[in-house]
Amino acid sequence: MKKLFLIFSLIIVTTGCEDVIDVDVPSENPRLVIDASINWFKGTTGAEQEIKLSLTAPYFEDSVSPATGAQIQIENSSNQVFIFNEDSNTGIYKNNGFIPVINETYILTINYQGEIFTGSETFKSVSSINFVEQNDNGGFSGNETELKAYYTDPADEENYYFFEFISDIPVIPTLEVYKDEFTNGNQIFGFYTEEELTTGDQVVIRNYGISIEFYNFMFVLLQQNSEEGGGPFETQPATVRGNCINQTNSENYPLGYFRLSQVDEFLYTVQ
Amino acid sequence: MRNSLTYLFLGSFLNIFILQAQEKFTINGSITDQQSNETLIDVNIIVPELNTGATTNEYGFYSLTLPKGTYKIVISYLGYKNLIENIDLNNNLTKDFQLSEALENLDEVVITENVEKLNISNPQMSVNSLTAKTIKQLPVVLGEADVIKAITLLPGVSNAGESSSGFNVRGGAADQNLILLDEATIYNSSHLFGLFSVFNPDAIKDLKLFKGGIPSRYGGRVSSVLDIYQKEGNSNKFQANGGIGVVASRLLVEGPIKKEKGSFLLGGRSSYAHLFLPLFDNDNIAYFYDLNTKLSYKLNSKNNIYLSGYFGRDVFSIGDTFENTYGNAVLNFRWNHLFSEKLFSNLSLIYSDYYYGLNLGFVEFNWNSGIQNFNVKYDFKHYLNNKLKLFYGLNSIYYKFNPGKIEPSSETSGINLFKLTDKYAFENAFYFDVEQQINQNIELSYGLRFSSFLRLGQNELNTYENNQPVIFNEDLQIYESAEANGVNTYKRGHVIKTFQNLEPRFSIAYQLNNQSSVKASYNRMSQYLHLLSNTSSPTPLDVWAPSGKYIKPQLLNQIAIGYFKNFDNDTYSLELESFYKSIKNRIDYIDGADLIANNAIEQVILNGKARAYGLELLLRKNQGKLKGWLAYTLSKSEQQTAGRTPNELGINNGNWYFTPYDKTHDISITGNYKLSNKWELNSNFLFQTGQPTTFPVGQYQYNGITIANFSNRNANRLPAYHRLDVSLNYTPKPDKKQGYQSYWVFSVYNLYNRKNASSITFRENRNTGNNEAIRLSIFGVIPSISYNFKF
Repeated sequence: MKKLFLIFSLIIVTTGCEDVIDVDVPSENPRLVIDASINWFKGTTGAEQEIKLSLTAPYFEDSVSPATGAQIQIENSSNQVFIFNEDSNTGIYKNNGFIPVINETYILTINYQGEIFTGSETFKSVSSINFVEQNDNGGFSGNETELKAYYTDPADEENYYFFEFISDIPVIPTLEVYKDEFTNGNQIFGFYTEEELTTGDQVVIRNYGISIEFYNFMFVLLQQNSEEGGGPFETQPATVRGNCINQTNSENYPLGYFRLSQVDEFLYTVQ
Repeated sequence: MRNSLTYLFLGSFLNIFILQAQEKFTINGSITDQQSNETLIDVNIIVPELNTGATTNEYGFYSLTLPKGTYKIVISYLGYKNLIENIDLNNNLTKDFQLSEALENLDEVVITENVEKLNISNPQMSVNSLTAKTIKQLPVVLGEADVIKAITLLPGVSNAGESSSGFNVRGGAADQNLILLDEATIYNSSHLFGLFSVFNPDAIKDLKLFKGGIPSRYGGRVSSVLDIYQKEGNSNKFQANGGIGVVASRLLVEGPIKKEKGSFLLGGRSSYAHLFLPLFDNDNIAYFYDLNTKLSYKLNSKNNIYLSGYFGRDVFSIGDTFENTYGNAVLNFRWNHLFSEKLFSNLSLIYSDYYYGLNLGFVEFNWNSGIQNFNVKYDFKHYLNNKLKLFYGLNSIYYKFNPGKIEPSSETSGINLFKLTDKYAFENAFYFDVEQQINQNIELSYGLRFSSFLRLGQNELNTYENNQPVIFNEDLQIYESAEANGVNTYKRGHVIKTFQNLEPRFSIAYQLNNQSSVKASYNRMSQYLHLLSNTSSPTPLDVWAPSGKYIKPQLLNQIAIGYFKNFDNDTYSLELESFYKSIKNRIDYIDGADLIANNAIEQVILNGKARAYGLELLLRKNQGKLKGWLAYTLSKSEQQTAGRTPNELGINNGNWYFTPYDKTHDISITGNYKLSNKWELNSNFLFQTGQPTTFPVGQYQYNGITIANFSNRNANRLPAYHRLDVSLNYTPKPDKKQGYQSYWVFSVYNLYNRKNASSITFRENRNTGNNEAIRLSIFGVIPSISYNFKF
């Protein structure tokens, strides 16, 4: 909902002009980035999971480096430990026997280059996507293809949602987060527009259940990084810290987040 | 011998006695424009042989006390012919004067005779006055004269970017300016995201911008006062003034209700949407309109009444998906009453309102928010004698704040009704101000304002453990909102919190010689209202919040010193000023704060402080074929939001960081050249250091997208801002001063099409996946034409 207010920035963008320019940016020492997203897709066991570790790089470099050679484990409240093993030197660590339990608390521990990083989160459930409504005269200019993925929010609890829309037109997914503050108990939608969608295109729509902490984290991250959050209405950007800390050396804090979500996936073919 | 000595002694003794007991009488009255009967502000009334004089106040009233006798009085005012009259003063006398406009000759030399001497001896410093005529000569965007754009050409005044509304004075924030239109507070000074100001230049008589040395009759905002007075309307005959431009048109009609006694003024402006936004082959609409109205009536020689109104709206809509309406409305009744020839008073009863509404069709909801206030002001101006003036009065404002109401706009809407809690407050002030001439060289102005703010009862005020709405999570090293542990509801009459402040004001002028002086001032100001905005410049979506249990009033101390000189027979004038201000209780937001529809903003703010200091230079050429000024400001504006305990990080690690509107160098050059009777050339050149911004220090991958990692707040700069504007005024019949008169304005904004960065954002390109820096610039080269008429 609040994201929709950021639409203002689109309006100003249309009256001004945007140019790609060359700018010198500062750089700092590489930092560990923890992309620990445990996703339990509805209708699967959720046993196969992976965690990606990488490092920050200067802004205009073509790629980032993986963080290799770490030891990773996740422990649940009954002291069950799941070890994640690295796939050669890719920085991707895998586990095949994960046990996802809704509302269970898990603790992530990473040992990287002698420093211990930890984070803790709760496994969140999610409402299923009921149906998708398509509007070919939608979006802000009135001629974009607009998709609304409807789900029903449970009225008896505070819920937060993370939506991912993947199509092959942009090379990156479109991400959004929602909260139920103004829509509690109602049938509401995740919103996606894309001008170049044509009949027959496939869009993968995923709805992840998330905690309020992840909502706050992702909300700011998207404001600072997605296409819609920008222009003259941008808030002061700052480092967005996730829920992981460096126990050994607090100044060398990691970026990224440790999240556990139930996910509903809907494959939609554009009409 | 002894007898004659005695007589001499007695004689001189008697003489002294007679001199001391010599009677003094007061001459008072109004000074108006002969053609329209408009009262004139700051007119000089001088008695050369006594080396004394007075000036008219905001209502055109003057009061001069002299010993009994016959005098030559010289009345002078910029743009008008001097008036010289002989007065026989043997009783209190009411005398009104009428001045006629000076016809401009290319060879004209204006006789100034002691005029400028009074100006430099006046302790008022850090103030710039502009007449509507000067404002109309400055070229601006799309050929429309603009008050706010005009004041940003003065030293110490800038704005936070091309699409921003509001302006910044001496490194102060945009919400720290008190903007008054005929004594009523205006909350948002811009239309169309800063493209136009809300002030119709045809309706304005005079404006003054106080950047420092603010007299105690003003209060409520800490950085500046923009005091704008509208015309009353021609009470002699009907007159209309208007213009048709590429983007907007305006028409002002004025005339008598009762000849020489009553007058009315009605002015409107409107823009045409479809020429403004680039066409998308659909129904995008962006337009504004405003209406200025005024009724004035002179009941008798001691009483005048005025009723003024202003109504303005901006409408911005995109098809059926989105419609946004916002604007100010003001209604104000004033009564001038002369208690005696020395005591002038003005009572104002004001209603002022700012409304913001949004309708998002595709999500099906309406959002309304606003602020309303009722204001009573009673001001007395007591002209005790020519060396001593007293100003005193009181001011009381009742506020109602509606931070927002969200309601579904249809039955199928997925949005629930939600109302952010209304807030109420009462702000009062009592002040006195003394202007005193100590001797030939020294004039003082000193005063005290006592202000108080009562935050009144409301529903649902949160309570928190330890009264801490923001907590610092030591593990994650981030600030988080605390959960409220209770909610209190108070009756409206209950006072939740009271603030009281004493605000001393002081300024002194020391005249070095006939042409130059040195001035110094100190003022302390308090501000009880805060504009919550987490962007670098205000948007109409921002919400005004009152001080209370969790937000303290802003308190400022400012000192300034200056050197003022007129030279070359008053052809040039130089003003050099240096200032330092420090502000306590400047709020800033925790990282990731979201203020939109936030019903508990205390959960996302931290208290800090701010300071600004700088040097201002203004060099003006006031006469001749070429007129204009050069303004240069060198300044620094920064803030610090430290952690509340040594364990907390604060914002930016507790270090000082630049405010978003800090501009190290700010140069404005403006020129007006009379090519001939028919043609006049105007030009502006601006150069400013780029605004502070935050660049990323790295990038990383998360969830399939590239994230820019940012570090120190406002540690980088946008590229420098500069542009050149020119305009050409063509008057086909310059000698015609009666009947239908017209002139054309051909203007070009940003002549060399510099793409000034309004912001630079860092994005992953969604088609290539590469990281890019994207500069957004709002205005390229914009030519325009307008046709202006008067009859």
